Amino acid sequence: MIMSRREALLLPVSPWFIGMSLFISLVINMLLGLSQALWLPDFLAVCIFFWGIHQPRRVGMATAFILGLWIDVLYSALLGQHALSYVVLSYFAFSMHRRLLWFPIKEQMLQILPFFILSELISLLIRLGTGDDFPGWPVLLRPFIETLLWPLANLILLAPQRRAHDPDANRPI
Amino acid sequence: MALDSLDRTPPPFFRVGFAPLTKLIFFSALSLLLVFSDKQLQFTKPLRAGLSTLILPVQWLVLQPGEALSAVGAYFQNLDQAQKNLKAAELKVLQQSVRSQQVEQLQIENQNLRQLMGLHSNLAVASQTAEVLFDVPDPYNQRIVIDRGQLKNVELGSPVIDAGGVVGQVTRVYLLTSEVTLLTDRAQSIPVLNSRTGARSITSGDVLAGLPMIELKFVPASADVEVGDLLTTSGIDGVYPPGLQVARISQIERRVDISFARIHASPLAELKGRHVLILQPSTASNANKGNPP
Repeated sequence: MIMSRREALLLPVSPWFIGMSLFISLVINMLLGLSQALWLPDFLAVCIFFWGIHQPRRVGMATAFILGLWIDVLYSALLGQHALSYVVLSYFAFSMHRRLLWFPIKEQMLQILPFFILSELISLLIRLGTGDDFPGWPVLLRPFIETLLWPLANLILLAPQRRAHDPDANRPI
Repeated sequence: MALDSLDRTPPPFFRVGFAPLTKLIFFSALSLLLVFSDKQLQFTKPLRAGLSTLILPVQWLVLQPGEALSAVGAYFQNLDQAQKNLKAAELKVLQQSVRSQQVEQLQIENQNLRQLMGLHSNLAVASQTAEVLFDVPDPYNQRIVIDRGQLKNVELGSPVIDAGGVVGQVTRVYLLTSEVTLLTDRAQSIPVLNSRTGARSITSGDVLAGLPMIELKFVPASADVEVGDLLTTSGIDGVYPPGLQVARISQIERRVDISFARIHASPLAELKGRHVLILQPSTASNANKGNPP
């Protein structure tokens, strides 16, 4: 039965943790950006999509837009390029947030892959449309690597919510 | 246990805000407006500068581990290697000192000749050193970020050179940093002079077989150009002082079906080094003085 796949009930999320996770993925993105490798995944996109699925009322399109603008400035890209791709990602996260979590994690990955591809394509098309050259084929690897990060995101970003509420020697959960 | 400790509380049905589609359309339109205005108009400049200043402390923090690592690396560098470097540097200084003495004499001679002919003399250009912080992460263009900005009076459009030759031009100035667009960026052009033939032309950045190169534009297929020719700045743009080394021609492709030759040159700037020199852009008034005869 599909219900049996659900995990134990989660603790409420801390808004601070959401903020910290977004900030840390922004910093990771900055570090990865320094290496100039094209295939390196966009951690912030994964993080925005993750919270868009799990906490759609806290992390929505406005957050995605602002974080996208920051990334645009940091990468010195065209202003609005990442903002648009994150907003679209966040929209699709919202549109499927009630459905996605009923599936096991592998099927979740299969379902979210098209959205990461779409968000990468938006970024690419904006740049090609404004007269830049194609940066190279490794760019097309990014959505796949981002999808592979999904189980990892599930493991790390939900960890604080999986903690025991008030642990006790006789009542570990 | 508190009532709200369960995650699956029923959603509050009131005050859910705008419909997602409305929000999507609004933010998409806003993004596209920003894309357009960033490309065509100027009013996104303060927004970009403001956001970049806000992120500055984080950026500084992110750069620290790398700096520390390279400092540690430099500390543990072999003494032998250091001595070798020193010897090489001394040798280089010696060679250059001979040359610079000649240059001094040539300069005086040149000045006298120019005075005799009634020409204006070349001016020495004010400059300041800067350190390269990192390459811009955006894969679509070729820029570097240096550690001098508005506070150090870096001007927009200043030429940037290093030990090898011209690196590029300052295209964005922030409070503490600025961005230099390399000559190998496809949007960057520089007027050059073929030092062998004296022919003037203009370059733009290009990528050849994955390597960033400089392409010489609009040179007739019959023009006198050879592989190995040295390109220097011609100085007619009023930005770059004349006589700086730019590139060396590495490949010429002449085809019958197009009237222009495809000429590629490899940039002489070493780009890998940590230090660069920012020159004051020659203003329109002394651009005339800077012209070679």
